[in-house]
Amino acid sequence: MDLKAASAAFRAGVFLLFVLIPNLASAQATATLSGTITDAAGKPVPGAKIYAHTASMNQPGGQSAATQTDSAGSYSLPGLALGSYTVSVGADGFTAKETNVSLTAAGSQTLDLMLTASAAQQLPNAPSPAPAAPAPATSAPAAPSLGDLGFSQQQTQANPKLQAMLEKRTEMLKIHQRLGLITAIPMAATLITGPMAAAKGKNGETIKEPTNANLDFHAALGGATATLYFATAYFAIRAPKVPGVQKHGAIRWHEALAFVHGPGMILTPILGAMAYNQENNGEKVHGLAAAHGPVAVTTAIAYGAAIVAVSWPIHLKFWEK
Amino acid sequence: MNRKLLLALFLLPLPIFAQADSQWVADHSALSYHMSHPMHQVDGTSQAARGKGVCHAGQCDFLIAVPVKSFDSGDTNRDLHMIEATRGAQFPMIVVHARFPQAEITSSAIDADLEVQFAGQTAHYAHVPFQRTAQGNEVRITGTLPLTCSDFKIDRPSFLTVPIKNEIPVRVDMSWHAQ
Repeated sequence: MDLKAASAAFRAGVFLLFVLIPNLASAQATATLSGTITDAAGKPVPGAKIYAHTASMNQPGGQSAATQTDSAGSYSLPGLALGSYTVSVGADGFTAKETNVSLTAAGSQTLDLMLTASAAQQLPNAPSPAPAAPAPATSAPAAPSLGDLGFSQQQTQANPKLQAMLEKRTEMLKIHQRLGLITAIPMAATLITGPMAAAKGKNGETIKEPTNANLDFHAALGGATATLYFATAYFAIRAPKVPGVQKHGAIRWHEALAFVHGPGMILTPILGAMAYNQENNGEKVHGLAAAHGPVAVTTAIAYGAAIVAVSWPIHLKFWEK
Repeated sequence: MNRKLLLALFLLPLPIFAQADSQWVADHSALSYHMSHPMHQVDGTSQAARGKGVCHAGQCDFLIAVPVKSFDSGDTNRDLHMIEATRGAQFPMIVVHARFPQAEITSSAIDADLEVQFAGQTAHYAHVPFQRTAQGNEVRITGTLPLTCSDFKIDRPSFLTVPIKNEIPVRVDMSWHAQ
């Protein structure tokens, strides 16, 4: 085995990985404001309503968001655009509190607040956060409210932990998606240069024509493909699994095809290394190593099919804006 | 003159009956959102919406609510992404308040003002047209909620770096009966 070539291939893969990943993971310009609401004794206040808004909330670009604390007194307001916010907090039996906070950087920012006991207070000028629907301003004595519709508490209860899990899952799968598409490029190039790799002479001498697409180049591309592939797989495997979800639809095909291209991506480099050794020893590629090409092609087809499956249904209308 | 008076007396009870208080409950519902991307046209449907309406003092107030996670687009992965993008775990319900003149409850066209709570935001839509058809004891109301991602500060999901269209119209098809 040509250690120099293998090392170059590995370095190329690692280089691609570290150059690309920071761009893929670039954060959006939103922040999450979270924290805990406690009483004067430091005990959490569940069910407190938190309402954050910018000064110009009723103008275009104005921001507002609302939520309520969970049983541990924790709250989270994700997806806030950067800027200055007025945060109002109210809870039954406590004096409503208002404070200002400035979100200057994407990511998470913590705002813990303490409420002081008082008569029951209503949150000033704040709509009730979902799921509690504010009653419309009407004189009708029995205007319907969300409570009239018979939804269970489980259906209407906010679940910040699940939201955080979903956000982490989406972030990881976004990287998985982008890396997966990028991986397809060196994979295709490896497939194309595969047949040309025979340009290396049987006795190990390098044939300089017709191109540089010789065995070493092919091996380097294969190394880059494998590195990117396993990085892609990492982000899918490590993405949080949402409990209680019965998968259906095209995603099942996408995952099932991984059982073809996954083993294929392990076998292909092993068989490739065997073929590489045989060629360098001046032997004709034989035995298991001869399966390198067919296994690589099968792997690439399964990989492409997996991309198509997860993109399904495809309606190519790029001319539509 | 007498004929005009007679006609007036004959027609007078109709608007009085039309203005009577009434309560409405949704029987069947189908809410479908439509998402457009240059590579995708996806519809997600929920049949879990519930609704109640009250007509009183010349005005009807209808409330429709549906759990965000009840929408099924035919693919679990896409549905989970939708829940994440719309902050559906944090704000699990889409709540629509519709308000329209009581006289329209018996007409074939309803012109409603809507207040929609979704993804932790509230948006208002004025003069949204709905169609009403009576089928026996049931009244079927259909129409489209003209929702957009930007109205609810939803970061538009993208594929191949191309985001989905801002418009996510929600088709409403609900059957109601008077209580």
